[in-house]
Amino acid sequence: MANERPIRYYKPKSDFKFDIRDIENFVYDMSRCIKCKGCTWVDHTYMPGPKFSMRCPSAAKYEFDAYGAYGKMRIGHAMAEGLLDWNEKALEVMYACTLCGACDIGCKRNLDLEIELSLESLRVKAVKDGVGPMPAHKKIAENIAQHHNMYGAPHEKRTGWIPKGITPAKKADVLYFAGCTASYVNKEIAQSTAKILKAAGTEFMLMLDEWCCGNTLFSVGLYDEAKALAQRNVEEVRKTGAKTLLTSCAEGYRMWKVDYPKMLGISTDDLGFKVVHLVEYADEKVKDGALKMKKPFETRLTYHDSCSLSRLSDPWTPYEGKRGWMGCVEPRLQRRRGNPEIYAKPRDILKSIPGVNLVEMPRTRENTFCCGAGRGTQEAYPDFAKWAAAHRLEEVREIGAETLVSSCPWCKNNFAQAVKASGGDVQVLDISEVICASIEG
Amino acid sequence: MAISNEIYRALEAIVGPEYISNDPVICEGYRSGPGGYENGLGYERVMTRIPGCVIMPKTTEDVQRIVKVCYRNEIPYVPYSTGFYGPRSHPHVEDALLIDLKRMNDFVLDEKHFYVEVGPGMIYSPIQEECMKHGAYVVIGGGGAQASAIANLIGDGWSPLSHRIGLPHRRILGTEVVMPDGELLKLGSLATSDDAFWGESPGPDLRGLLRGYTGLRGCLGIVTRMAIKTLPFQPERLEPTGISPNTALALPEKRIKWINFVVPSKDAQVTAMREIGHAEIAGAVTKVPLFWRAIAKAECKEEFWDIWSKENEETVANFFIVRVLLIGFTSEEQMEYDERVLMDIMTEVGGVARRTKPSDESWIKNADSAGMWLMCGGYVSVDYVIETLTQSPDHGPAYAEVKKKYTPPLMPDYGDPGWFQSFELGHQGYSEFLVYWDLDDDTDKVDQFYVDTSKMNIKNRFYTSLLGPHQPLYLTGPKYGPNYHEFLLKVKNEFDPKWKSHPPVPLAHDVFVERAPWMHHMKDWESPDDLVK
Repeated sequence: MANERPIRYYKPKSDFKFDIRDIENFVYDMSRCIKCKGCTWVDHTYMPGPKFSMRCPSAAKYEFDAYGAYGKMRIGHAMAEGLLDWNEKALEVMYACTLCGACDIGCKRNLDLEIELSLESLRVKAVKDGVGPMPAHKKIAENIAQHHNMYGAPHEKRTGWIPKGITPAKKADVLYFAGCTASYVNKEIAQSTAKILKAAGTEFMLMLDEWCCGNTLFSVGLYDEAKALAQRNVEEVRKTGAKTLLTSCAEGYRMWKVDYPKMLGISTDDLGFKVVHLVEYADEKVKDGALKMKKPFETRLTYHDSCSLSRLSDPWTPYEGKRGWMGCVEPRLQRRRGNPEIYAKPRDILKSIPGVNLVEMPRTRENTFCCGAGRGTQEAYPDFAKWAAAHRLEEVREIGAETLVSSCPWCKNNFAQAVKASGGDVQVLDISEVICASIEG
Repeated sequence: MAISNEIYRALEAIVGPEYISNDPVICEGYRSGPGGYENGLGYERVMTRIPGCVIMPKTTEDVQRIVKVCYRNEIPYVPYSTGFYGPRSHPHVEDALLIDLKRMNDFVLDEKHFYVEVGPGMIYSPIQEECMKHGAYVVIGGGGAQASAIANLIGDGWSPLSHRIGLPHRRILGTEVVMPDGELLKLGSLATSDDAFWGESPGPDLRGLLRGYTGLRGCLGIVTRMAIKTLPFQPERLEPTGISPNTALALPEKRIKWINFVVPSKDAQVTAMREIGHAEIAGAVTKVPLFWRAIAKAECKEEFWDIWSKENEETVANFFIVRVLLIGFTSEEQMEYDERVLMDIMTEVGGVARRTKPSDESWIKNADSAGMWLMCGGYVSVDYVIETLTQSPDHGPAYAEVKKKYTPPLMPDYGDPGWFQSFELGHQGYSEFLVYWDLDDDTDKVDQFYVDTSKMNIKNRFYTSLLGPHQPLYLTGPKYGPNYHEFLLKVKNEFDPKWKSHPPVPLAHDVFVERAPWMHHMKDWESPDDLVK
């Protein structure tokens, strides 16, 4: 006999939305953490053994439970309930974290909790409560306000990276957004990108006046400042009529594709232009024959998945709904679980280069151990950032790789410094450089 | 008694300033709830406390020294490995010292003698990976691949793989325990040498005392080192595939495969399991709750309810599945033989093989215990039973009947009679009953249901494993001993006369019933007025 009881019990519904300005939106997620530590361990199916078993840099470095997402959720929940106040340790717990998304995607292996958004919201709360961000972040905010770049470098030198022989178009379908780091620090990445575009026969333009993307501002909770930049930058790109915005920086990619729409209350599709990373562009061009990887690169090479290109960059869709019985939400919500299509692309590119012997590290793709540099970590906690990179390099050495390639200037810089500090036995390159070297042959 | 500055400095001298903290933020990170196993229920709200201080030792000697400081200074302490086991593995008294053992993650594999030696910070999945690389395997307990192997093995550690491997706590070999007063107790061959290869040793075997019925949550000391027996596995690599959340091990089908059979009745289920055991084939034989299939299929909790809402009491009552894992331990030919025997058995009981994916999502290297929270948010296993294969047809429906009285707030499961499987080649049958609820509901009835299950077991004379620290000891002890409670308390008093090691376990559930007004009407058993002195 069929059960006659109504299937769903009555439950008052509560409104919530994906707005990180109000921590109340994430109290449900913080309160449902079950301490399984899926945020911290490598997916058990892929667990490589006792060595390299963790994917959360903060939990691996600081070890107390407070530094894992399970601790942060409890601390954040207690703060949201008014049971715990900020102190120096709370700031360290919240900011000595790379917001790399390992926890978010690990949690969503089994559950539906919004860990990354909760962590972002807690940083916004720190700023609203007058305790955040950290002093080093404030200096960056000043630099951006005054010079439109995070380094405080002269704004007029922003396009100084443009290599001889390449002249960006005044008008083109593709707009290359170089970002602060490739413009001032790792010019080789912007230069290689421009050469790749040229080699593939793609005309590109630059923004008339490129400003910082605001990654650090957004990441450390300076929401209003980051939103102002988002508005300005999106309007400037729309004015150019570009159909595609291309980045060579994973952090910048995430900002344009995910966090700008998040702050502007629109979906990624509503930006008015497509956002692509160099690896997406180059993969397509290699596969359609426009880019020919001719020059051999004889090396045993490994690829490091940059967090903001993969785990954190599924397109953004605003969400506003009601949560009812058993935590079910209406309307149906497509949970954010990363950008799975991206994992194969850089690998396909690298494998197409003659001579490259691509070997994988024990922790790859969604299980990657972050380089430690991003989301304000390197500025406020440089020792932690160095430690994370050095830890990842142990993995590179474990598999005997000679070359380490990533898709973000932040990763490249941090790894390069770690290699230098530890003896210089690994070559660190951005994927743009590897592609460029191969096509120039 | 709060930890004074002087005692704090004494503890700090043992581990160094990096590995101790009484900062309220650090301590909050060790809060049991609000989410997780059994959390959100009255037991968690009434019985757990945020620790007063947290310390992370690295060695057995560190643990000994820490415990000695605590014992001398009347500081209550709680050993803690991963914290997954909900409120019962968290402090129950104010100002307790939480001893976080995660840094004690040593791992040694003895390939020749087929055992691994681990510290309490070592979890299951790395152990299994390393074992498989060397042609061996262990059980991944139902607590999950993320559980500390030591904590899980001295608690329960059961899995479908127990059909072949046997009760996991039988696989405990040489073990090292820091007693509540700081003395070091070595069990098995560790008692006479530094070689942990053997479980038995001169004198009485004390390994059972670590466990009680199903784990005493550290109230009789802290296990700091354990050797675990491994068994030979098939040699081919089980390749991880897929991208999160859809990851699985691809199985080499000539050496290992799952086959799902639908059989016509519960009796056929039991017969099939028993015959498979008698034939001494298969690596696992199990029947999981029907809603686990919905969990596995659903991409999100809303989809779970879409799938599950299509079921009803009739469909649940008439669905009988037997899930069999075949392993060609020695050869492909052995696997072929086992499959032929299996098919003969299934033909006899009327079983029909269903299409089954050539992969393993759970049990060989992973155990998706975390997925249990997907659909409701609140979850606890109210009973684990190791009995005979034939007890389940009676016990399951009896449980389902009690559940009805408490639904809601329990999830509508349409009378699902739980999880049921063969252990030790059919010599034993295992049942587990799981309940789910919404944390935002009034959960008093869930607390009451929990104790009511004990009363149901006692009334119907069902054997049950969840005694001791999991139920009121004075309710269950007299009925299952008849002096189990007196025996356990004598052991506790002998080992820990000051009751500093995870107080008030093993009387914690008795104390909870005393403290929670909504439980008072259920107390129809005798207990001393001064439960804990």
